[in-house]
Amino acid sequence: MRIPFRASWLLAGLLVCLAVTARAAPPLPAEIASQGVLRVGVKCDYPPSGFLDANRNFAGIEVDMARYLATKAFGSPDKAALQCVTAENRIPALIGKKIDLIIATLGATPERARVIAFSDPYQWGGGDVLVPKDSPIHTMADLKGHKVVVLKGTTEEAWFTDKMPDLELLKLNSVADAMQALRGGRVDAYAHDDAVLAQLAAKNPDLRLIGTPYAINVAAIGIRKGDTALQAWVNAELADMKADGLFQKSIAQWVEPPLQPLMDKQFLTPRPKD
Amino acid sequence: MDYDFDWSYIWQSRLPLLRGLQVTLEVSAIGIALAIIVGVIGGFVRLFQVRGANQVVIGYVELIRNTPILAQLFFIFYGLPELGMKPSPFWSGVLMLTLWGGAYNVESMRGALGSVDQGLREAAYSLGLRRAQYFRFIAVPVALRLALPTVLNTAISMLKNSALLQTIGLAELTFVAVDRASQSYRTLEMFGTIGAIYLALGLGLASFVGRLEIRLHRPFRA
Repeated sequence: MRIPFRASWLLAGLLVCLAVTARAAPPLPAEIASQGVLRVGVKCDYPPSGFLDANRNFAGIEVDMARYLATKAFGSPDKAALQCVTAENRIPALIGKKIDLIIATLGATPERARVIAFSDPYQWGGGDVLVPKDSPIHTMADLKGHKVVVLKGTTEEAWFTDKMPDLELLKLNSVADAMQALRGGRVDAYAHDDAVLAQLAAKNPDLRLIGTPYAINVAAIGIRKGDTALQAWVNAELADMKADGLFQKSIAQWVEPPLQPLMDKQFLTPRPKD
Repeated sequence: MDYDFDWSYIWQSRLPLLRGLQVTLEVSAIGIALAIIVGVIGGFVRLFQVRGANQVVIGYVELIRNTPILAQLFFIFYGLPELGMKPSPFWSGVLMLTLWGGAYNVESMRGALGSVDQGLREAAYSLGLRRAQYFRFIAVPVALRLALPTVLNTAISMLKNSALLQTIGLAELTFVAVDRASQSYRTLEMFGTIGAIYLALGLGLASFVGRLEIRLHRPFRA
């Protein structure tokens, strides 16, 4: 069949419109709708992401996310049935259908992707490097020939061993040990998670961060494998959440001022290239 | 919950564990040798009540014996850089083991030298030996034999205490186990393995010293 040129454009435009509206508002899956609440596993000991406030109420950025989703699904933030989960039990709780979603600082890793599905990422994080204020080290490349302290078992230990094998690494057990080694001049730099180092930098004006993210990981909402309808709904709502400025509001409410710039970067800017 | 003990993980870890074992053996061997030297010198200072030095040795022994070994290690590793000295993790470890084992060896040697039978000295002098000759040919050889069991005891403790050096980042045996377990969560496999290795090392050291003792006592047997 021959379609006139102008009509084909019209048709194409219509299809695009349909596709866009379809993507913007996938329906809430019937299974969730019928249970009347959205059951979400959140952290209860991990401020500012998810924690219990002084009155033992759920609080934090990820708790706000769960309540936003419940509001969109059922019209009320109280329809979020929140449960405390830990790093060990969150995936079994999801697979065992005790909860519908994990919003609990869950890193989207290939190992986990074999067992569960993920939403689009909503936060990224990575490693940073802490050095004395007057240090000649300003970039990752400057680390060459210097001694760096890392903690055993951290992502940063694995990353430096893999990516910068010539570097002399001192591997210690605690943040306090690493800080002592840096302070005492035993090492020239301390590599660790950016959130941990940002707190240390905020408390110690004689130290500064390099600020180049590496060993980047992303946090996403965990969904049961096969719940593709729920996954589509969550992804659409995540986009709305961003557009509505939920993260700015939550960060302002739950994050200590010195850490707000880092959280703004992690939640509001796109994930940098590794 | 049933723990799935994974023997193959131990086999996979053999190369890092062997490298850790090598570091443990090096740091312990140097430490044990230096601590025996410290013990002999300190023992003589105490026996002869060498003026000035005697008080220093008493203070050193009491300081080491009455403070936690981990505190001593952290003082050496994190404290010395504040004084301008930065020994590497390895030499910080040697220093800690030497200071710690040396203090115990001083007491062992003092006790052993003091318990050499008075009759031996009287016999030596009546045979015309000078004081120096008496110590060289009679007192020290006898005292070393007497001190051997307690020096061995200290040496085995030093071997095991070298495990504390993992806290300052020395890649010895325990460090390897902790490091690997923190990535694989195979804690029981790793600690079971190094426990067995330390046991074997301790038993080996004891049997070596046991044979040495028998050999050294040979001239005294009727």
